[in-house]
Amino acid sequence: MSSAAANPGSSLASASPVAKSAPPPRLKVEQVTYAYAAADRSAPNFSLSATSFQAQRQEIVAVLGPNASGKSTLLRLLAGVVGPLSGRIEIDGVGLGDLDLRTRAQRIALVQQESELLFPLRVWEFVLQGRYPYGRRLRFESDKDSLLTGNALAQVGADSFAGRWMNELSGGEKQRVILARALAQEPSLLLLDEPTQHLDVGGKVELLRRLRRLADEHRYTVIVVTHELNLAAEFSDRIVLLHKGKCLRVGSPVEVYDRGLLEQIFEAPLDVDIRPNGRPRVTLRGSE
Amino acid sequence: MVQVTLGGGELIRARRYRWLFLLVPALALSCGEAFAALQTANSSAGPQRLASHTVIDGVGRQVKIPANVDRIVSLAPNLTETLYALGLGERIVGDTNYCDVPPEAKAKPHVGAPVNPSIEAIVAQRPDLVFATTSINRPETVDALTRLGIPVYTTDPHTVRGMIDSFGRIADLVGAEKQGSALTASLNARLGALHARLATLPTIRVLFVVWLDPLITIGQNTFIADALQWAGAESVVVSQQNWPQLSFEEVVRLQPDYLVFAASHPGEGGVTAKGLRSQPVWKDLRAVQQGHVAIISDEIDRPDPGLIDAIEQLAHELHPDAFKPDAAPAGSSSKASRERVAFRAFGKKSEIAPQGLKPLMKGRWVMSDLKVRPPKDRLFSANYLRDDARLESGLTTRCCECAH
Amino acid sequence: MRTLTARRVIGACAMLLGVLFVVVVISLRMGAFPLSVRDIVATLFNGVLGRRERIPSEFALVVFGLRLPRIALGILVGAALSTAGAGFQALLRNPLADPYVLGVSSGAALGAILSLIFIPHVPGAIQAAAFVGAAATITAVYFLGRRGGQLDSATLLLAGIVAASFLSAGIMFLMTTLPGRDLRGMAFWLMGDLSSPPPTQNVRAWFVFLFVVFAIAAGAIYLTASDLNLILTGEKEAQHLGVNVHRVKLVVYISASLLTGLAVSVSGAIGYIGLLVPHAMRMLFGNDYRLLIPTSALGGAIAIVVADTLARTVVAPTELPVGAMTALAGAPVFIYLLRRRVR
Repeated sequence: MSSAAANPGSSLASASPVAKSAPPPRLKVEQVTYAYAAADRSAPNFSLSATSFQAQRQEIVAVLGPNASGKSTLLRLLAGVVGPLSGRIEIDGVGLGDLDLRTRAQRIALVQQESELLFPLRVWEFVLQGRYPYGRRLRFESDKDSLLTGNALAQVGADSFAGRWMNELSGGEKQRVILARALAQEPSLLLLDEPTQHLDVGGKVELLRRLRRLADEHRYTVIVVTHELNLAAEFSDRIVLLHKGKCLRVGSPVEVYDRGLLEQIFEAPLDVDIRPNGRPRVTLRGSE
Repeated sequence: MVQVTLGGGELIRARRYRWLFLLVPALALSCGEAFAALQTANSSAGPQRLASHTVIDGVGRQVKIPANVDRIVSLAPNLTETLYALGLGERIVGDTNYCDVPPEAKAKPHVGAPVNPSIEAIVAQRPDLVFATTSINRPETVDALTRLGIPVYTTDPHTVRGMIDSFGRIADLVGAEKQGSALTASLNARLGALHARLATLPTIRVLFVVWLDPLITIGQNTFIADALQWAGAESVVVSQQNWPQLSFEEVVRLQPDYLVFAASHPGEGGVTAKGLRSQPVWKDLRAVQQGHVAIISDEIDRPDPGLIDAIEQLAHELHPDAFKPDAAPAGSSSKASRERVAFRAFGKKSEIAPQGLKPLMKGRWVMSDLKVRPPKDRLFSANYLRDDARLESGLTTRCCECAH
Repeated sequence: MRTLTARRVIGACAMLLGVLFVVVVISLRMGAFPLSVRDIVATLFNGVLGRRERIPSEFALVVFGLRLPRIALGILVGAALSTAGAGFQALLRNPLADPYVLGVSSGAALGAILSLIFIPHVPGAIQAAAFVGAAATITAVYFLGRRGGQLDSATLLLAGIVAASFLSAGIMFLMTTLPGRDLRGMAFWLMGDLSSPPPTQNVRAWFVFLFVVFAIAAGAIYLTASDLNLILTGEKEAQHLGVNVHRVKLVVYISASLLTGLAVSVSGAIGYIGLLVPHAMRMLFGNDYRLLIPTSALGGAIAIVVADTLARTVVAPTELPVGAMTALAGAPVFIYLLRRRVR
């Protein structure tokens, strides 16, 4: 199957019948596989083999693995950019492929490195764009949009520089703003692609703390793609461990962080301790 | 990607837009009515003229000529000169910036350049008839004027005889038949006389140079090519294009007997035989080495009565032996010296002409009454003298400031 | 934070309409035929009220037959070019894009030349052939500019440049075969000239037709204004926000090319308007396309009427083609804009 995007022309299908007893999981990934078409020469001939996991409300799931393990592919599948070769992805019980573009944008928000802006834009204008999926195509923003934009900025602590120009911001500030735009979409699912890449240690921790708070207080479901072992262990509820396209393990940090497994995957001598709060910590061995 | 730091939109903050809301419906209404008016304006365009008759002009268009043609606009210098030659100078109410022959033409109201005149300026003169020519005007100009109800007659000169005929037609159109037939008769007679002299002589192969660099010459469909034939020459270049560009090698291959330039070609400074002899490639041409470089009047470029002067001048240069030495016409001089001759002949400009001579243009005279014999010490410009008239009156027409 | 409201858009447009009105009245005043403002106002007034018998026939001729059609054409062409320019700048993600960068004007010029060669002096032939040439170029560049089945900005730009140079070569070659007077006409057409009369007798129908085509194409672009705002921050991001990027790009491509083809068919390739007017409007009103598109259209109309008025009067009675005036004035204006960058 070629790298076709989910069909934008499909209308919103009626939601699959929901069991009265328990609400469906926020995110359900079932036996999803993916392969780049052989004809697509620009992409490496890579595949993601059967991966399954679930995520509930208020959960942070970390997708973990070394480079080229299939993390980005999984994220693209979750964002709906490409459709899976086989298997199924469901958001609140509705298949991802059944959603049209706008509805998908109302459910899923992606946070990634921003490409360079062509024309100057203010921070609040940028975040306001997150309201696009709501309302008619050509529209002027309503008061509700402004309100939600303000809220999103407050949630990420960026309201103090709401009036500044985007290209004046530092890396960390910019990322907060991008996150704010994602929040303005009022999504069910927040996807983050290696968000800690350009941040210093303090920034990394601050971001993860913020995500934790967002998940706990505002009931988001957060999927974070990262290779930061300790941050993932500290802040996430569930870990999906990938290696060379294979999903090796899904579970809580303690369950997943097996020393032998981690050493094999990351090809480095490692030690795994359990900290007082029950979360594992990974350190590099051999420097004593 | 280029980061453009333009924009920001902070320059306008005023909120005083409200009163302008009234403007929009008012504008819409007036625009609508204006467009409606456009419809009627075009259908009843132009001052009402009584169309006298319809003719077909030189390019095959139908033109409604009004009964009285009192106001004429000329869109090309050669047309202006022709109209003056027909004695219609006073009827011209507008001409182009470049109409400079005769000098009175410069004082007429201008309508712009021949290629892009101002339609409004033409309309402002309220002409009864406009003359255009394919050699320099654009069809779009003619279309625009026709659309406004102004009749435009376009000439399309390809041959010298045809050009002379068109003079007659122009004269007929404006009710000046007598002047027309006089002019055409005189010009045709001169052509006839030339032909008689040169018929038995071999034609001289010439290269007519319009521009030196790039080297441009004339095609066989131009009136210049025809004019060359009347002067007992022929262009060595045969081309369907009007202004073919030649490579110099081709010239060397063709080795014309003569090079012919008009006085203003190819630019300021002009061209002289001596100058060419010092030019790197030209000096090796046989024609240059033999001094066979003819520089003739600019009238060769213009399809108007002065073209005949230029033809005669060229004929004299190419076939000097065909003409009796004492009858060398003054036509071989440049325009300036022609006028100088005329002024010299009659002293000051304000001098009254001898009896019997009718002035057409300053410096040019026509013998109206053959019985009058001007005194021998006077010199005349013989341009409009009929050949037989010259012979009969025994006039000495010698030019003392020729280019030879 | 002050979001863009419909009221602000209407207010800005009303202000520009006012400026346009003033410019039109001034332009009506200028010309070789002596007409005072009183004459003009009286003529317009009587025309609006339908009292056409009261207008002296020459006033009617000059105002309604000569100046007003030219101004109306200028407004249409200016609005079309600026809107197309704004659209292309977004589509190609390049602030230096102008409506001709994709070769549409060269295609139209080639069509015009071919019509001059094969069917000269048929009224309306040049415009129709130019439009056909433009349409053919649009289609060809579209297919060349695709990558993976979708319009890709960089590929599109390259395809357009290649098409433009190829077509220009063809034009130059053909121009050497034209007889003298058609060549002159063609040279004027290439420079951009508003003085050609309408090709049909029914002037009103002609303008209605042009306006309808303009309204459809410009309206289609305007409907994508919100989408364009998002696309300018990044195509992938726009897609994630729910923008159907592929469809928006196609609509903008076709509409902007249509506008360009329309403008070039009736008046030749007038330069600088499509490039500079959107930038000037950005400086005045900001980058939001919901405001930029209508203000660019009005700004372009104002610019062309000013340029054409200057072209008619600067070296009177000779008339410069309006494209020469926009080129002469365009460069200094561009430099001025660059120096007045906000940051």
